[in-house]
Amino acid sequence: MPLIKVNDLVKEYTVIKKGKGLKGALKSLLHKEKEILRAVNHISFSIQHGEIVGYIGPNGAGKSTTVKMLSGILSPTSGEILIDGLSPQKDRKRVVQNLGVVFGQRSQLNWDLRLGESFELLKRIYRIDDRQYQENLAMMDAILEIHKFIHTPVRQLSLGQRMRGDLAAAMLHSPQVLFLDEPTIGLDVDGKQAIRKFVKEINRLKQTTVILTTHDLGDIQELCSRLIIISEGTIVEDGSLSDLIDRIAPYRILHVELYEEAELPIHPLAEKIRQDGTAAVYRFDKKKVTAAQLIEDLSCFCKMKDFRLEEARIEDIIRAAYHKKEKLEGV
Amino acid sequence: MLKTIRYYAGMGIYYIKLSLLGWMEYPMNLAAWLGTNLLQFLVGFATIKFVVQEFGALNGWTYSQIAFLYGLAMLSHAFSIILFIQTWHIGGIMLAGELDRFLLRPMNVLFQFLFMDFNLIGLTDLLPGVIIFIYGCMQVRFSWTLYSTLAIMAVLFGATLIRGALFMATGSIAFWTKSNSDFSGINLNIMDRTTMYPLTMYPRIIQMIFTFVLPFGFISFFPASAFLGMDNGFSFPSWIIWFTPVVGIAVFTLSCLLFCAGLRKYDSAGS
Repeated sequence: MPLIKVNDLVKEYTVIKKGKGLKGALKSLLHKEKEILRAVNHISFSIQHGEIVGYIGPNGAGKSTTVKMLSGILSPTSGEILIDGLSPQKDRKRVVQNLGVVFGQRSQLNWDLRLGESFELLKRIYRIDDRQYQENLAMMDAILEIHKFIHTPVRQLSLGQRMRGDLAAAMLHSPQVLFLDEPTIGLDVDGKQAIRKFVKEINRLKQTTVILTTHDLGDIQELCSRLIIISEGTIVEDGSLSDLIDRIAPYRILHVELYEEAELPIHPLAEKIRQDGTAAVYRFDKKKVTAAQLIEDLSCFCKMKDFRLEEARIEDIIRAAYHKKEKLEGV
Repeated sequence: MLKTIRYYAGMGIYYIKLSLLGWMEYPMNLAAWLGTNLLQFLVGFATIKFVVQEFGALNGWTYSQIAFLYGLAMLSHAFSIILFIQTWHIGGIMLAGELDRFLLRPMNVLFQFLFMDFNLIGLTDLLPGVIIFIYGCMQVRFSWTLYSTLAIMAVLFGATLIRGALFMATGSIAFWTKSNSDFSGINLNIMDRTTMYPLTMYPRIIQMIFTFVLPFGFISFFPASAFLGMDNGFSFPSWIIWFTPVVGIAVFTLSCLLFCAGLRKYDSAGS
């Protein structure tokens, strides 16, 4: 049975349309023109125990709305969510006992308290027993090195420290599921690396299931064994990054440079895009022929001075997926 | 059930302890509040003294009796500030996304909201309140018996709830308007004017409103007039004192229901 099951989820917001200027504002007071915005549009997916899933999409695609519904903050307009068999809306208290949530943009810690005091408070709120608390705290410290600032008031922490504090706080009660909403936003390279290491470690040590939303390609490449891509409220892709690359960008480009000008042949498994004097460009399907084979075949016809392989950029692939393109143009 | 009660009682005490710790971080802040608040109330009280002395009694109430009324009202004012100041700005708390945090904890949201901020500034209201109340009691020669002590405690309990209910009810409007409107200034003004002076000095219609619609008369005026044997405008018997806790519990429950209805209506502020 999947740990998280989302079935035909819809979330609509009602927005009251206002006319322009004072006249329009007065008019809309008398006659309210309502507009229904569908932020999440019939979404379904299942997530198994122990997966790390990247829930990605452009700004305003409905990522945060989905995470908020999964964590019981928002109620769906229709559809069903089950986390370990329970609905976060109907069984909020029981579901959140098993949930860790971190919002990159907004701390869950208490600004007026020292970090350690915040942890003590959470220990009581979640009724964590002493042994488990000490174990988790030690584990979080080993990964995130929080002892360096555990006695600092939260308001005085740097963004990187605060994020590490937030992550540790979210794991103190050993939740099975962790939602991370843009956890690396605004962090420097070390900060990002610390967060990624944390996600990998807790997933390895505690088999925590992680869903993270992010715009960071490094997060996606390093962490996510599976990507769910959402665009304009609907899921456009659900699979691994390598499958996505294979499907959207199956081609590689080979740039060849010769010692002297010679007409290069057409290869049966590669397309010669252009030749410009001593420089030639081939495009080939990486499943049909390897780069080594292609170079070997071509070198029978000429003396090669240099070559360079070009891969599709992850960024372009993700962007193509956002725009629901079947194939990446160019490469 | 017992376990749940023990859990919430323990958490309540812990939240209070944390608030105290938070305040201890900024002791000068507290000292500044204490200074200005003390001054504000003493000046307010001196004004009454001047008015009463210049123009004679206020609607039959002597200066000493008004001191008693004023002190009684100030005590519940201080308690309500200590316990319920967060109800002053539900809209702001909602817009800042604090409610999301409450919803992510395996604990009752109203409980978290009520205990999130045990406000020590209220202690700076309590001090002048105690001074003026003791002064008033001495002036009117209030007799401290077991009955009167219990009655005063019941009145303070109920009056604190009535004040809290008004703030919570007006604050909950934010759930529907989704704005950060702050009614606390208006609320404080209304309550100052209806609890620190005898209600009988106002026109009949105002007396009716503050008895049956917005029951602020029960905060201090009806109890004080019963203790002092003064006319309360409605010929209420002296056991009207015991109506204050009843009214308090009733209106506070209503305001909690309004808060919870608002919370169900709440759509998180987005990100």
